[in-house]
Amino acid sequence: MTAPRNLETVELTKRFGGVTALDGASIAFHDGKINAIIGPNGSGKTTYFNCVTGMIRADSGQTTYRGHDITRRPPHAIAAAGIGRTFQLCRVFPRMSALDNVLVAARPGGVATRLRGARGRAEVARAREWLAHMGMDHLEGVEAGNLSWGQQKLLELAGVLMSEPETILLDEPAGGVNPALIDRIAALVRELNAAGKTFIIVEHNMDLVMNLCEHIVVLDRGRPIAAGPPSVIRSDERVLGAYLG
Amino acid sequence: MRSVSKARVWLGLPVLLAGVGLVLSFPSLAPNPYLLSVGIVVLNYAVLSTAWNFMGGFTGYISLGHGALAGLGAYGTALLITKAGMPSFAALFAATAIVALLAIPLGFAALRVRGASFVIVSIALVLILLLVFQSWASLTGGSSGLVVPRPFPQLLRPEHHRVFYYLFAGLLALALLCWWLIDRSRFGLGLKAVREDEDKAESLGTPTFAYKLVIFTVSAAFTALGGGLYALWFGDLDPVFQFSILSGAYMVLMALLGGVRNLFGPVLGALIVGIGLEYFKVEYGNTPLHLVASGLLLAVVVMFMPDGVIPSVSNVFGRFFQPTRASIREVSAEQLREEARR
Repeated sequence: MTAPRNLETVELTKRFGGVTALDGASIAFHDGKINAIIGPNGSGKTTYFNCVTGMIRADSGQTTYRGHDITRRPPHAIAAAGIGRTFQLCRVFPRMSALDNVLVAARPGGVATRLRGARGRAEVARAREWLAHMGMDHLEGVEAGNLSWGQQKLLELAGVLMSEPETILLDEPAGGVNPALIDRIAALVRELNAAGKTFIIVEHNMDLVMNLCEHIVVLDRGRPIAAGPPSVIRSDERVLGAYLG
Repeated sequence: MRSVSKARVWLGLPVLLAGVGLVLSFPSLAPNPYLLSVGIVVLNYAVLSTAWNFMGGFTGYISLGHGALAGLGAYGTALLITKAGMPSFAALFAATAIVALLAIPLGFAALRVRGASFVIVSIALVLILLLVFQSWASLTGGSSGLVVPRPFPQLLRPEHHRVFYYLFAGLLALALLCWWLIDRSRFGLGLKAVREDEDKAESLGTPTFAYKLVIFTVSAAFTALGGGLYALWFGDLDPVFQFSILSGAYMVLMALLGGVRNLFGPVLGALIVGIGLEYFKVEYGNTPLHLVASGLLLAVVVMFMPDGVIPSVSNVFGRFFQPTRASIREVSAEQLREEARR
């Protein structure tokens, strides 16, 4: 628990009508590590992601990122602060080419650079590099909507990486993906983590979580019921109870 | 892929040059002032539809309220001439600036909602302004209309038409140039991301609201310029025509017909719809038959050419050039060995 704090929430609460999706969730994630959030369906994992990235506004509570308050910042400002994310059901820009999908995420400079051509040489080179990293450089001209599910997932990741985040939130990276691709995504996460990126991963695939992640937070009914390394979480009775009971 | 874009340039350049040549020589070719005035009407439609396409094409926000922005540009120009005594073209630019400024608070309100809600808000804008301009007769002349002094009183009618034809053509060229510049810019790419998936664009760091507000203002400015220039040319304004949902709907129809993702989509749409409307007016007089035809045309476009005429046609051509795509990376044994060595 001595690792420096990355993303941290204090008493985060979100209600949808009568349903309390997040019930005073106070969670801290470790900087530089591969963190995970697990929990049964409806335990508030995705809502948590949506609240901390500003996509939906929490009713109360506070979010800080590396000590800076980001509670009421709009999503694009949170992205600019260094937090990238993928979506549960992978989201790409379907009618844009794979290359443009990555180029969109290039960090904008001032107003003048926004009026410059979108296909600047440096940006295109970097976007192609990320596509090549995913083994998709030959697909750069294909409309993203025509790519397979697995390719779209990799493309989404390439876009997020193009935005140069320090921290990456992955919402079910292994969802609907074949085992070979899961291995590939896991290897990619390890490689990027070794390069200094922090990960926070929501995932149902327990094998992947237990093998990949160093710090696991268990959510149940909108609040954390356990946190710790895989060895501790595996034998925690409250966790077993939440999943089985 | 490269061969496709090259083929496009080689096909596109002569078509573009022929198009420009045709537009520039039309006043000399037109056999009578009536046909020249039809040319002006078509160019005006092309300007308005291209102006609409800054908003609709890039962001996918379908505004039916752009007729009101054109109306504001027209009345603004007219009132600045008649009430403030400004010279015609100074009034045109001042009115455009005012409409652009007005677009900021309007956008602040309207751009908070998406999809069908935005369409309804944009319709509300037209209806509210229609009532205001009809009722405020002391300023706007109300239903009896407002006469706009001609900017070139010494010119005879055919000459007057000819001058305004070129003014509209210049304005269209300016609008197309701006659209093209934005289309290829990073700003444009961000706007297109908004069209595809606004939340996703936002999560990648695009300030979507600011982007939408800027492009709405640009769109409003060009729409106002089109409306104001029309006021100077036509010389007579009536709220029923200036603030009608129909004029906004025609902008949408023309853009959709030609193809909102294409630079020249709205121009092609304006050509087809503009000539069609004039034909119905001449053949059938003042009947609602042109509305039936417009409705049918819209239905045909939405059903069979959802992307518009230009993409449908270029798809047919594209089939001859498109290389077959592989789902798996094609590499030679040499390349594999190279990769393994690394």
